[in-house]
Formats: sequence, C-alpha cells, structure tokens
Amino acid sequence: MVTRFALLKELSTIITDDVIVLTSIGNNSGFWGQLKDREANLFHITMGMCSPTALGLSLALPNRKIVAIDSDGNMILNLGVLGTIANEAPKNLTIVLMDNQNYLGSHKHAPGMPTATAGKMNLEAVAKACGIDSACTVQDVNEFRSGFQAALSSIGPHFIRARVEPLDRDRPERSKRVPDPRENKYQFAGYIQRTEGVEILGSGLGGG
Amino acid sequence: MRPEKAQLVLKGLKEAGVDFATGVPDAQFIEVYRMLAEDPEVHYVGAANEAEATGIGFGAWFGGKKPALILATSGLLVATYHLARINLLHEVPVLVVIPYRGDIGDPRWLGLYKKTTEPGLEAMDIPYRIVSRPEDVVRTIKECNESARAWLKPVAVLLNQEALW
Repeated sequence: MVTRFALLKELSTIITDDVIVLTSIGNNSGFWGQLKDREANLFHITMGMCSPTALGLSLALPNRKIVAIDSDGNMILNLGVLGTIANEAPKNLTIVLMDNQNYLGSHKHAPGMPTATAGKMNLEAVAKACGIDSACTVQDVNEFRSGFQAALSSIGPHFIRARVEPLDRDRPERSKRVPDPRENKYQFAGYIQRTEGVEILGSGLGGG
Repeated sequence: MRPEKAQLVLKGLKEAGVDFATGVPDAQFIEVYRMLAEDPEVHYVGAANEAEATGIGFGAWFGGKKPALILATSGLLVATYHLARINLLHEVPVLVVIPYRGDIGDPRWLGLYKKTTEPGLEAMDIPYRIVSRPEDVVRTIKECNESARAWLKPVAVLLNQEALW
C-alpha cells in the first residue's frame, strides 16, 4: 500500500497552477503546504467540512477545476455531503479521499483508532450509491496519477478513494511554515479576486 | 408562516444581495426555503445537515458569492462546530437567518431552544438581532448582512412574534 505523502508528492508534480486545491486539517494540509507553496491552496478545513467547502466553491466558480484533498475520518463525519454533491453535480469538482482507515495515527508511531473504513465500510461504494458515478479506488502512485488526470480532463463530480498506509512513516521534516487560517484566507481570497474578477473581501470603505 | 411574511424574508435576502443560500428545511420556514429554491437569482443548496450547509456557504464565499444559511433553532446546534470555526478561526462572513422557535410566545413546547439559541450565538461570538415586527424584517436582514461582510464574521437574524407567526 502507498503512503499519503507519496501520493501528494506525485500530485505536486502534475497539478497545474490554475487548479484550486482544498485540504482537510492535519497531514493533508501539513504535507501539501510543505510540498506545494502556491496561491491556489485553501488549508486547514476542519473535520467534516472539506468536501462541503469544495462543493460550495465549485458551485460559485463553475469554470475552475476544484480538488478537495479529504480523508476518511473527515468524510464520515458529514457523509451526507456525498448525496448533496451527486445531486448538485458540479462538473468541476474532484474529491481525493486519503483513506488511511485510522484516526490520529498519522501523527504517531503507532496506529490511532480505526475508522469505519478499517472495518466494513467502503467509501467508493458509498459514493457510487450516493449517485457519484465516477468513483474509483487507487492503491499506488501509477493508479493515482492516471485516475487523477482522467478526472481533471473529464466532466465531474469525481471521487477518488486512495487506500493509503495507516501511518505517515515517510512524513517530511517541516521545512516551511504553512499559512495560518486567517493569513491563508486573505491570500486565497485575494488570488480568487484577481483571477476571477469577483469581489470577496468587503467594501474596502474603511473606518474613521 | 404565512406566504406574505416569507416573502418579506426573501425580499430582505435579495435586497441584501444574497445570491447563495443553503440549509435544511424547517417546518416554520418551509415557504422561505421553497421560494429560495425556486428563485432564479439565488443558488439554493439543500444540505443533509446544518454543519454541512455551513461548509458549503463558507466555500461559496471564497468564490465571490454572498451566502446565507437558513437554519432552524435545532439546526443551529448541529451547525455550531463549523459555524464557530469559520467565525473564530477563519473569520469568514455568512448571514444566518433563524426562525426563532422556542422563544416566549411560541405555542409549542420548544423551550429548549430558548435556552440554547441566544446563549449559543453569544458563546460563538456571533452578533444577532431579533426581529419581532414584519415591517422591520427587510431592513434588519440588509443591515445584518452588511455588518457580516464588513466585519468578516457571521451575523444572525432571529425572527419571532409577528415577524414569524
């Protein structure tokens, strides 16, 4: 089985600058921030909120490719969003789900506690049953690369469940500071304003 | 809620510039949800729960939308984790509109929400106004939305008494 870091590293080599990437809290944000310092990143989206946020953004910006890097514990907290995504059917949305079947193990040298996917739950099957027809499972870098590239070049929504190791044994040394949520908000919103010509950050009328 | 009162909520949202709404339908506000879902100028997303709706509104804001969450008082409890997070950590605005069930004067036994709604908003540091008169609905929704966007934080409008019933 492959590691989360190996897949994110591969993603960092194939992603184009204009594709927006949203990452759930924890190592999805931490690793992606180390690997790919870019304006089109929205980090630190809390438990259960990554795919809903990606849905809202993909509906607001239907002409931009949106990628959510989510995880199993996050997804099963708000599983109903898969049905919402299927019905809204944003053509520009791809969810990459890092399924390590594990809570909290990613920061430790031993597994944390199992998620439901460590047992009988299969999130690819759940996504399909929710109505996301383009759902698949990948288990190595090559499958991930071809699945991701196919998703970005076709009509979504897409759901890629990546079976990854429970532990991030190959986690990199922290070499870079990942922006905090407020700092990241201003950077990301400023980037969207500039590239999409929309107003996000208030009236700018100031005080006094 | 009578259709003419629901119409006032819709008018307030539209005059405020709200173009994206999400939530989970509530019995007292069902007309508002129906009107939003049918309005061609508003993208309404029916979520499976109110925390999911909060995430959807949060994402829509980053795409330049002016989002509103339409939440029941019970749904506010479901939304709290994500609502507190986007308010206190990210500082991102969404307008929150709540039919204030359980307030004094509500004929049904919903007193639980008297104990949770206003204290819950205060605990999350979400400013709010309570609107009791129909003639104040449109203006208050517009003012709360304006403040939300200026302050970069959620602001709530609670409808009770003649504004709701």
